[in-house]
Amino acid sequence: MYAAATSVALVGGEARPVRVEAHVGRQQEAFKLSGLPDTAVREAKDRVRAAVASAGIRFPNRTVTVNLAPADLPKGGTDYDLPIALGVLAACREIPDLKEAVVVGELALDGGVRAGSNALGAGVLSARGQVPCLVASAVAGEAASIPGARVFGVASLAEAVEMFRDGLELREPALPGEPPPAERGPDLADIRGQAMARRALEVAAAGGHHLLLHGPPGSGKTMLARRMIGILPRLTVSEAVESAMLWAAAARRRGLDRQPPFRAPHHTASKAALVGGGSGNPVPGEVSLAHRGVLFLDELAEFPRSHLDTLRQPLEEGIVSVARRGTAVDFPASFQLLAATNPCPCGFHGDRRRPCDCRPALRGRYRARVSGPLLDRFDLIVRVGRVEEGEYSGPEGEPSAKVAERVEIARSAQLERGVSNRELAIRTAVTRESTEATAIVAAALGSALLTARGADRVRRVARTIADLEGVERVEESHMAEAIGLRGEWRDD
Amino acid sequence: MTDHKLVLPEHPSYPEGLGDLEKPPAIFVLGETSTAPAVAVVGTRKCTRYGLTLAEAFGRALAGAGWTTVSGLARGIDAAAHRGTLSEGGEAVAVLGSGIDVIYPSENADLYRRIVAGRGAIMSEYPPGTPPDRWRFPARNRLIAAIASAVVVVEAGETGGALITARLAAEMGRPVFAVPGDVDRPASMGCNRLIRDGAHPVLGVDDLIAELSLVLGAPAPRRGFGVDLPLTGLAIDQLPEFWGCTPTQAMARLARMEITGEARRSGDVVVPGSR
Repeated sequence: MYAAATSVALVGGEARPVRVEAHVGRQQEAFKLSGLPDTAVREAKDRVRAAVASAGIRFPNRTVTVNLAPADLPKGGTDYDLPIALGVLAACREIPDLKEAVVVGELALDGGVRAGSNALGAGVLSARGQVPCLVASAVAGEAASIPGARVFGVASLAEAVEMFRDGLELREPALPGEPPPAERGPDLADIRGQAMARRALEVAAAGGHHLLLHGPPGSGKTMLARRMIGILPRLTVSEAVESAMLWAAAARRRGLDRQPPFRAPHHTASKAALVGGGSGNPVPGEVSLAHRGVLFLDELAEFPRSHLDTLRQPLEEGIVSVARRGTAVDFPASFQLLAATNPCPCGFHGDRRRPCDCRPALRGRYRARVSGPLLDRFDLIVRVGRVEEGEYSGPEGEPSAKVAERVEIARSAQLERGVSNRELAIRTAVTRESTEATAIVAAALGSALLTARGADRVRRVARTIADLEGVERVEESHMAEAIGLRGEWRDD
Repeated sequence: MTDHKLVLPEHPSYPEGLGDLEKPPAIFVLGETSTAPAVAVVGTRKCTRYGLTLAEAFGRALAGAGWTTVSGLARGIDAAAHRGTLSEGGEAVAVLGSGIDVIYPSENADLYRRIVAGRGAIMSEYPPGTPPDRWRFPARNRLIAAIASAVVVVEAGETGGALITARLAAEMGRPVFAVPGDVDRPASMGCNRLIRDGAHPVLGVDDLIAELSLVLGAPAPRRGFGVDLPLTGLAIDQLPEFWGCTPTQAMARLARMEITGEARRSGDVVVPGSR
């Protein structure tokens, strides 16, 4: 006797259907599981057996074979418990055929259904295939917030059994849940002075630009960076889904949070933690957890150079390829890079008050730890200077909410064009520049203030500055400011 | 090193001031010497950013006034003074404590080449190839004091070569200027002591030029210094206030000045550029 259920696997942050095939044979009692299960999946056998018994149904005392197809795709996690249980029950005709329903959920030994990490994936498949899906009731609201998904929440295996016996048509699908409350983080009002750095942060937020802050310790680089999230526009639903799926693939729950993710890996993080990897099924790294959000690298020069160089592919292409055991998985990794660094090992080079103790050679080596090609990829490079006493006791800064309003307007102009300014093609950018604006870039190139790649960055930033002003044409003043906001991190 | 020459005291291009020494030495010269009045700008290697900015501003202002700047090519104040002079296209003279072809410290190799390539000169009383032994530096300082018609000490600790230069200069009747500083700042203690002992306190770049012109004669006509930026520079965050505009406008204006070379960023501050 044979039956099958549909479940979900996350591959490269994308939901793929998995067929859970169950066969109940005539041989002596056994429970076999195939289809590259990891340990968590293999242990499903024990949970399923106990949960079925707790639901008051006799588990078949014959040979039960379960296969997770496609059989060559590694499966992990506890979300296959419920589809395995229902598949087996359907195979021995305890319940009717499951048809196309997508099922995910972890089983408790008492027959309860717990939330695994794939509820959103089930919602995505449900919406895509116009089929119903079954998830733990705790996460039904979350899955239901995917537009087009028809979601049924179940609290126990018994309830799921009942649902299939009665037919799903009789049930009301779950309603979209409340999104988690927006955590806007610390406020820009806390920052006094630093007018130029604040402006750079606003421009970076408005265009999704990569920003490098450099300056002495204690000048507020990290404080500024942590306030980026509070001024970024909220994610669209589809962006929030992309992000949540990647988080789920890393076995983390994010829900349909509309706030862009902010990831700040420490400089001791391994390469696998940064770009993804791990043994067996590749797991997305920090660059993918920061997808559609911000990757903040504090103490940039302390990161091993080989780790930093792995960022070049995601920065360039918005994806990262992780090769493992004969398979390569592409994870989306389109993030805004935010970085902070001291100018030298002691941190005080260029400070107005404290001398720098570093030998010049050491200073040069420190800076060289961040490769030229990576530095080239920053759209804005801004010095954050020491805060003077007068500024420190001065008035509060403008609150984040005010800045966010301007950023939102600038972003909506980009949404209309269909691409963020960070990714804007130079050919497109040039068509909306005034002659004077183009001339000043050429002059900056001529005076060796900019490299060719730097000039491309500057043009995109100028576009953002014009968007912040709400004007269609990039004028000379926009371009000049953009050039000023790309001050080199150099020695002198 | 092939194009250096040995200049004897009788020679017309022998630096006049050296004649005031008890035993005027023959010196090796690489580059050009001129008859313009020379001012020594010296100070400690363990200087602050403030000192560096000032030394550079002095070098620039002296060059602008048409005077030669003399220093010792050491790390810190010396190098900054040379840099300032060169950025203004002025005459920089570096007196070495080693052979004329031995660049010490090596980080200043670029500066050395720019001095030779420019209107300035490298000088030393030691034959080519002489290593930079510690004991030669105080001896070198007496040449700096002698060549210069005045000595400016930008920053100096309680002991050190700059104070030796100042003392020797005073003994030869050269006016000594010192930049006052915080009483508890190690890099200013030497300067403050010099002021107590009778050196002229330097109250600013313009003040220094005015005081020096009493000794050296009228400076060359000034070009438009300090109109857009004070010579000692300004923190980037102070630009909007100084120019009376928004941060946005200030950043744009700064970029335009950087492109034309009128301004340059140096750490936290923006300083006038070389053009």
